Amino acid sequence: MTRSLNELRPVYAVGIGWHRYQNPSETPYVELGLTAIRAALADARIEWPAVESSYVATALLGMASGRPMLRHLGATGAPLMHVENASASGSTAFRHACIEVASGISDVALAVGVDKRNPVRRSDTGIGHLAEDAIVPFTHFALLTNEYSVRHNASAEDIARVAVKNHRNGAKNPNAQRQQERTLDEVLGGKRVSGSLTALQCTPIGEGAAAVIVASEDGIRRLGIDAGRAIRTTASVGRSERVYPPGAGFDAALTKETADLALAQAKLAPKDLDIIELHDAFTVEELLYIESIGLCPEGRGVRMLKEGALDIGGQCAINPSGGLIAMGHPIGPTGIGQIGEIVMQLRGEAGPRQHGGARTGLAHMVGVGAVCYVHILQK
Amino acid sequence: MQPSKLLKPGLYSEGSSDREGATVRLKGGRCRCGYVFFPMQTYGCERCGSHGDALTSCELPANGTLLAEATVHLHADKNRPAPFTIVKVALDDGPVIRTLLADDSAPVAPGQRVTGRLAAVGQSESGETVLDLRFSIAS
Ligand SMILES: [Zn+2]
Repeated sequence: MTRSLNELRPVYAVGIGWHRYQNPSETPYVELGLTAIRAALADARIEWPAVESSYVATALLGMASGRPMLRHLGATGAPLMHVENASASGSTAFRHACIEVASGISDVALAVGVDKRNPVRRSDTGIGHLAEDAIVPFTHFALLTNEYSVRHNASAEDIARVAVKNHRNGAKNPNAQRQQERTLDEVLGGKRVSGSLTALQCTPIGEGAAAVIVASEDGIRRLGIDAGRAIRTTASVGRSERVYPPGAGFDAALTKETADLALAQAKLAPKDLDIIELHDAFTVEELLYIESIGLCPEGRGVRMLKEGALDIGGQCAINPSGGLIAMGHPIGPTGIGQIGEIVMQLRGEAGPRQHGGARTGLAHMVGVGAVCYVHILQK
Repeated sequence: MQPSKLLKPGLYSEGSSDREGATVRLKGGRCRCGYVFFPMQTYGCERCGSHGDALTSCELPANGTLLAEATVHLHADKNRPAPFTIVKVALDDGPVIRTLLADDSAPVAPGQRVTGRLAAVGQSESGETVLDLRFSIAS
């Protein structure tokens, strides 16, 4: 008989840290990663030797990048592994750190994501293609934008409002790559990229790091960690794409089945969510995914957005960190940074972007392939 | 007539010609379970996992309904200068494909019927006209 994460022993996020997401720079990845890990250790008020296992999420650094970074914390001999799962690398690392602690194998584990914007290299499958070389991610999502607009009679302005909200949130986040508020005119008037997508509706290219330390109740007691600031992971689900009916968008269909399983695992309904951090690499995704998660019926996302229901202080704050559009998407760190944002919000420590009374948060990532990961954290 | 060759002969072949030009037959596959896919491959069926004799080649007419279009304004690859338009087409036989709209096509919108034809896209080193698949509104 199999069991889900919340049927094992409880696991809590106890330390969070970042190196700010930023434009590509000369800073070595080692410095990015160490900054995030040391911040997470300081946040948990524990020392490095307490960490029994490390999961290093990175998609673009190449083979065996973890040990040349971790050794500078003092080589403890603890196991480490690398996790590559495209955009969901960080979410996947977090899931496996949680599983290791929940299973009882370790009391304290680290998930750290770090990346530099190196070229993406994918191996040839041996199957030909018509024009996939001409269809980069922003065109994949420009096609979905066109479909959403026509199906739900949503204008380019309606969809661009997602970016206005997320740039506003990012402007209040010191770890965000883009920290500038943008008007609707600025968003729409920017450089056109593909279809109706403009540059400010697309995630920027960047680098950075994020770290989360998870611990069991035994670990929290033994190390004297402040249990009042520990946030429990109550659901963890990973899925990969199946064959959907012809014409169905796989990103949304995969998100729906993954989110449904996570909500069932935590015994929650979509209306119970106070915070969602989701994969808004492109504006239309936020609308597609809140509808897939079940926050509103299909096609009603624009109305919620316009009513302010998705703002910080609204019914459910979507991407209070600024999301991938404003906070950024350095790949390996992104899913871990989402967990850090939710932890900060649920502790009530999010400062000027605090969503009042937040008790339940959901983190969602999709990765090309496609894979989908959803976590739920609760106070 | 000038000699010509197909850019991707593994993926399509020339069909009958009408007054708009040469139509295209896509080289798809069909599984014993009924699943139709493009392009043909023998690794295994994405729906049921069958392989070997369970998978057979089949020709798919390049006729379908437009699901979405996007004109690409920026593209890093210098071999494909922007702008160009990508179309997502639900073929009448089932598979959904994504490829290029013909440069001389009228603007398209979701729901329209579209057809794939061969279009000249360049010259080979030996002087043949290179033909590739491009979609446009069905006549
Ligand atoms: Zn099959």
